[in-house]
Amino acid sequence: MGISSIHVRSIPTTRHTKVTTAAMLGAAISAAILPTAVLADVTIGVLIPTSGRASGYGQQMQVAINMFSEKYLDLGKAGKLKLDILDTRGEVPEAINLTRKLIGSDAVAIVGPQLSAEVEVVFPLGVRGQMPIISAMSAKPGLASANQPWSFRYALVSEHDYAPLLDVWLKQNSGIKKVVVLYDAKDAVSAFDGVTVFPDLLKPRGVEVIEKISFQGGDIDFSAQVTRARGLGADGIVLSAFYNDAAQVAKELRKQGMKQPIVANVGVNHPRFVESGGAAVEGVMTASDFHADNPEPAVAAWVAEFKKRFKEEPGNGAALMYDTLVLTQDCIVRQGITGANVAADRVKMRDCWLNMKDREAPLMGKTSIDKGEAVRLPVILQVKGDKFTIVK
Amino acid sequence: MLLQQLVNGLMLGSTYALVAIGYALIFGVLRLLHLAHGEVFMVGAFAGLMVSIWLSVGPLGALIGGLVVAALLGMLLELIAFRPIRHRGGNYLAPIVSSVGAGLVIQEIMTKLFGAEQISFPKQFESVVYQLGPIQVSDTQLFIMGIAFTTMFALHVFVTYTRLGTAMRAASENIEVASILGINVNTVVLLSFGIASGLGGIAGVLVGMNFSSISPFMGTDMATKGFAVMLIGGLGSIYGAMAGGLILGIVEVLSVAYLASSYRDAFVFLLMILILLLRPRGLFSAGIEPGR
Repeated sequence: MGISSIHVRSIPTTRHTKVTTAAMLGAAISAAILPTAVLADVTIGVLIPTSGRASGYGQQMQVAINMFSEKYLDLGKAGKLKLDILDTRGEVPEAINLTRKLIGSDAVAIVGPQLSAEVEVVFPLGVRGQMPIISAMSAKPGLASANQPWSFRYALVSEHDYAPLLDVWLKQNSGIKKVVVLYDAKDAVSAFDGVTVFPDLLKPRGVEVIEKISFQGGDIDFSAQVTRARGLGADGIVLSAFYNDAAQVAKELRKQGMKQPIVANVGVNHPRFVESGGAAVEGVMTASDFHADNPEPAVAAWVAEFKKRFKEEPGNGAALMYDTLVLTQDCIVRQGITGANVAADRVKMRDCWLNMKDREAPLMGKTSIDKGEAVRLPVILQVKGDKFTIVK
Repeated sequence: MLLQQLVNGLMLGSTYALVAIGYALIFGVLRLLHLAHGEVFMVGAFAGLMVSIWLSVGPLGALIGGLVVAALLGMLLELIAFRPIRHRGGNYLAPIVSSVGAGLVIQEIMTKLFGAEQISFPKQFESVVYQLGPIQVSDTQLFIMGIAFTTMFALHVFVTYTRLGTAMRAASENIEVASILGINVNTVVLLSFGIASGLGGIAGVLVGMNFSSISPFMGTDMATKGFAVMLIGGLGSIYGAMAGGLILGIVEVLSVAYLASSYRDAFVFLLMILILLLRPRGLFSAGIEPGR
């Protein structure tokens, strides 16, 4: 069952039934006469975590989906776009079940799931089921490229984000020679970023990783890990976790007197990181696909509309979801997807994403796809005051 | 660093102990596993937070708020989820399943009310850190340690020297004989739920104050740890729960500090298994009295 009121599933009344029957008859006659006649609406499955540990992302994404729906559901001649929105709760088994359900449905593509742990197991299902799956937010490197030609991601993979991020961070903090990495071992992308991506990028930049210390996302106590980190004499700290856990770890770091500069993974890209972390996250630097303070008029207008609806600044996830849906809708229109032949439509959708080149997205600009992964320039952000600001 | 880690372990362990005492009290009296106790602990934390926000009170006010709300919730659970089953002579598994259901309902309600995100305690709870030689201790930590040990001592006095405490111990011996001897067993059980839940509520607020944030899911892990602590200490033993909590907190923190932090929970349960292999009834024997 979908969780949104956006589902466009008609509930027939007696009068409507007559009208619908007449319309269907007309459509059937037209189909017989005209080869390009439209018979079905086009459905896209959307998988988001509206409950559970990552629900902060899901709730924001839901707002972005509502905004998209108000503008883009009408496909003109192709009929109407239907979104089948389902809650994965951020849990892998649920993501698998819902993906299987959508593969067996009339959906021409799946936008989601959003967490890398989910995406890692769901992408192979898409390859086997020949279903184009596009994750808006997942950023763990290699997941889409390993599952070609049916898997795509709109978010930049973390290594594309972190190379320029580390350059800016090390330039701003020139004395950093040794760092300690604190990472969430429970989350696939945070663990991979902390154990592999950051260390691999730091080594050629002359920075030694003294130790990688793990913690469990959702824990209440991070004091032991921080005490251990405190004894290592690091010049800087790499923090790789979701915004909620990352904020708590940052608080513990500052509480135990560790004042070293912090660079963080993309998981902290959420307004609640700053809200929850308070003074402890001041100066934390990260990279992002999107920034809410972008002065571009179209982006500023979108952000203002979002804030009017949600009373909160849009995070990375919401913006990524909006752009992904717009590009997917654009593929439907460009490729002449009608929903009449689901298997053929899925191939058309796949080819559209596979060959995407410098396509203009409303919020993040020109985007290309290379081996299933998005290619764009990231924005480098730093917490200043009570918000993320762009580092020039 | 070892000294600092021991302090960290004591901090964590004292909250585990408070949660585990709740389990032990209820198990001691009813021989019943109250699996919604983690959720009562979580509600106590939220109640403390809300009281501190609405009434702009400090830590003590938050503690009282957490204690009262959690105690009331615990007693309500006894009245609607346990007592009816007990009086109808239900299967011994029924109250356990009932408590699991009650816990899920509480968690869902709290998620609807407060969202699934972690929520921070307000600024008045931010602590001042003191450097005592190689150890850093915050005023919040000292407060928490003081409250935890004071509460444990107060419970010891209550159970050992008051009429109601004696009634609770009698009920833990044999609830039917206690009833024949004129003890109002229903009151004793209700009181046990109230005290156990109140202690859970205090632990919830202390955790919120020390670790700065709470969430509707915080009770799940704490409940598992509390249960492990009760087994380590000895089923139904209050003093076992106290000692077990401190031991577990220290072992957990030391495992993170000197071994692999990803396996902290594994070490906890490995310790539990080892202790149960050596002393199958736990470190302390069953019953509300020590040494029984």
